[in-house]
Amino acid sequence: MSQQTQLLDSSQNRKTMLILEDFGRNLGLTFYALFALFPLVWMVICSLKADAEMYNTVFVFTPTLDNYKAVLLGTDYFKAFFQNLVVSGGAVLLTVVAGVPAAYALARYDFKKKEDVAFQILSFKFAPEIMVILPVFLIFQKIGLYDTYFGLIWVYQLITMPLLIWVVRGYFEDISVEVEQAAQLDGYRWFDVFFKTLVPLIKPGLVASGLLAFIFAWNSFTFPLVLSGFNIQTITITSLRYIASDTVHYGQVAVAALIAVLPEITARLFIQKHLVRGLSFGAVKG
Amino acid sequence: MSQTKRFKQGVSIFLVLTLAIGMFSGCGGSAQTPPSSAAPGSSSPAPQSKVADVQQQAQSSDDFDWKQYEGATVKVSFVQHTVADAIVSKLPEFTEKTGIQVEYSITPEASYFDKLSTSLSSRSGDPDLFMSGAYQLWDYSTAGFVEDLGNFLGDASKITSDYDFEDIVPSAVAALRWNGIPGYPVGEGAQLALPLAFEIYSLAYNTRAFAENNLEVPKTYEDLLKVCDALQGWNGPGSYAIALRGARDWGTIHPGYMSTYANFGAVDFAQQDDKLVSMVNSPEAIAMTEFWVELIKRGGSSSWSNYTWYEAGADLGAGKAAMMFDADNNGIHQNWDGASQEAGNIAWTVMPVAKEGDTPNSNYWTWAMAMNSASKNKDAAWMFLMYFTSKEFAHYASVDMNSLDPARTSVWDSDAFKSKMAKQPGYIETYNATIDSTTILFTPQPYFFETTTEWAATLQDIVAGQYGSVKEGMNALKAKIDKAVSDIDLSAYY
Repeated sequence: MSQQTQLLDSSQNRKTMLILEDFGRNLGLTFYALFALFPLVWMVICSLKADAEMYNTVFVFTPTLDNYKAVLLGTDYFKAFFQNLVVSGGAVLLTVVAGVPAAYALARYDFKKKEDVAFQILSFKFAPEIMVILPVFLIFQKIGLYDTYFGLIWVYQLITMPLLIWVVRGYFEDISVEVEQAAQLDGYRWFDVFFKTLVPLIKPGLVASGLLAFIFAWNSFTFPLVLSGFNIQTITITSLRYIASDTVHYGQVAVAALIAVLPEITARLFIQKHLVRGLSFGAVKG
Repeated sequence: MSQTKRFKQGVSIFLVLTLAIGMFSGCGGSAQTPPSSAAPGSSSPAPQSKVADVQQQAQSSDDFDWKQYEGATVKVSFVQHTVADAIVSKLPEFTEKTGIQVEYSITPEASYFDKLSTSLSSRSGDPDLFMSGAYQLWDYSTAGFVEDLGNFLGDASKITSDYDFEDIVPSAVAALRWNGIPGYPVGEGAQLALPLAFEIYSLAYNTRAFAENNLEVPKTYEDLLKVCDALQGWNGPGSYAIALRGARDWGTIHPGYMSTYANFGAVDFAQQDDKLVSMVNSPEAIAMTEFWVELIKRGGSSSWSNYTWYEAGADLGAGKAAMMFDADNNGIHQNWDGASQEAGNIAWTVMPVAKEGDTPNSNYWTWAMAMNSASKNKDAAWMFLMYFTSKEFAHYASVDMNSLDPARTSVWDSDAFKSKMAKQPGYIETYNATIDSTTILFTPQPYFFETTTEWAATLQDIVAGQYGSVKEGMNALKAKIDKAVSDIDLSAYY
């Protein structure tokens, strides 16, 4: 066999290997995508099934929109959705307004017990919610915060604040003090330095931790279960109502869950570019 | 020790003490117990015949001043239930008639009692009214959280002459009366709540399964086991004979198991030397549990140990189970037109007994409405209670809505209800054959949930073969239950 033929064969083998490698990679990713998306697909299927077909059919059934009608028109689902949005959005907003300056102070200023304060904030996440719920409930009853938007927004800070402060603090620490000093030399006031120089630099971390804080607040169950109910009922509590006393209306549960994840998916898609960078930067801070 | 260190220690101790005092004072709530709460040993002046006498002195509904608490706001906690749906749909009418505003919350049963217990223990007065089962009321009334409704039922100025208290199913009323003394059966003492709906236990079966296999509906335990053998796999792979609850919680014990337990002549507790003593290892209890384990092995689902109300009902409706020994209204929800695969094929019969003609003793579950003893709006709350336990509302809730089983005899007897239930063969007949021998078969005591959950766990372990015999398992269970109730001293109540 001539050298030229050998080279040709070798090149063809490499091409074949590359094609096989691509094919294998895509096949693997396709399987992973199917695996990852299957719960979502299964929920969509369940949401289109009547109760009578729920246990007897898998993929072949007569689709119906009755579950959507029952949930969206027959119950106060939208009210709960809106209330959840107000409480979770409000909680994240308050966290950002209070947490970013707190993170800056913890990163920049030297004061006594700084690390203890930072650890104290982190420690809010240590205890399970059910452990602190009774005293919080009693205090809320006494000071009139029970079953109010502000009460829930306030108590949600236990969920959202530690995460944001610790992620954003890492970002501030990573920004050189000289950047601020240079801006001040150029005549910027401190607020301008903060908003025009520092905030853009911490944006990936702020966005990523803000989104995670929103997801945690949106999915919170114990606090809204005990601290509200008559005037405010969040979507996590309302969704369980389709597990009725007569039977579990799995189709309606699926509709409620599908719509409940929409804000999280939408928010994630909008800020996807910041998300991975934000979280990975925050993760390696020393 | 340096001064700084001592200072630090002092500050730490001060903070810990402050935190502890704050928590305990918060958790303790108000120390004041309203005098009208259903205290142990108290006796309400309102058995049904006495209330009938009071009603004769009362004003008719037309003359009664329904607006006397106009402007008040009543807070009500509902569990997710068909009767709650019926009440909510009538709230505008109630407000129009009384001028009382109602704020309510509806919570799924899985989380409901956690939320309710927290609210009641705060002694804040919220909610004014709450839905509950009888078992939970033993706990709540022992803690002083429950108002004795006899105070209202026995007052001619608070009741209307046409309230017709005697029309409420007597055994349901009795199931919600208790004197607060552990070991004493229900039926005496304070009226802890009024029933909205209840369930009794019976055998639901798939008529198609029995017709296709030429089988007779079982009447005795022996028949039941034979039928189980014949019905395994009756509707293809995965189908089985009988759906029973088996999850590791109290819900497994109180339906079919406890009813059969009583029919074997077994009891859960006896009183000995001012103590409650578990009787779960008596010969009758062991014989019954041996039968039950046999039933599960010969006819039950392979996933029996995960089964709750929902799985049992769903399997009957889906054609997986040929029978279900559970609450009578569980199968109803699968049998309405279009509700499930087997809708229209389900029928009811009295639970199997030792020999034909024996009395079928059934355990009881009631969904009832109780009043918070710390409520600041008790009179307005009573108006709500009277309105939503009335004959008219009970009729509406069961006939126009789907609340089952109705707590009013007049509803069971009404043509409208009979007509509505015409497509549920055997349901009313089974009720009529069982209701007179239906009562709460458990011995009331404040550790009900702890002991019955332990019971369910032991039953699972016996079925799984973790004990050498049923007797060994029940002996171990007796020791655990005796330990759980060991601090109950009955002499403290006399």
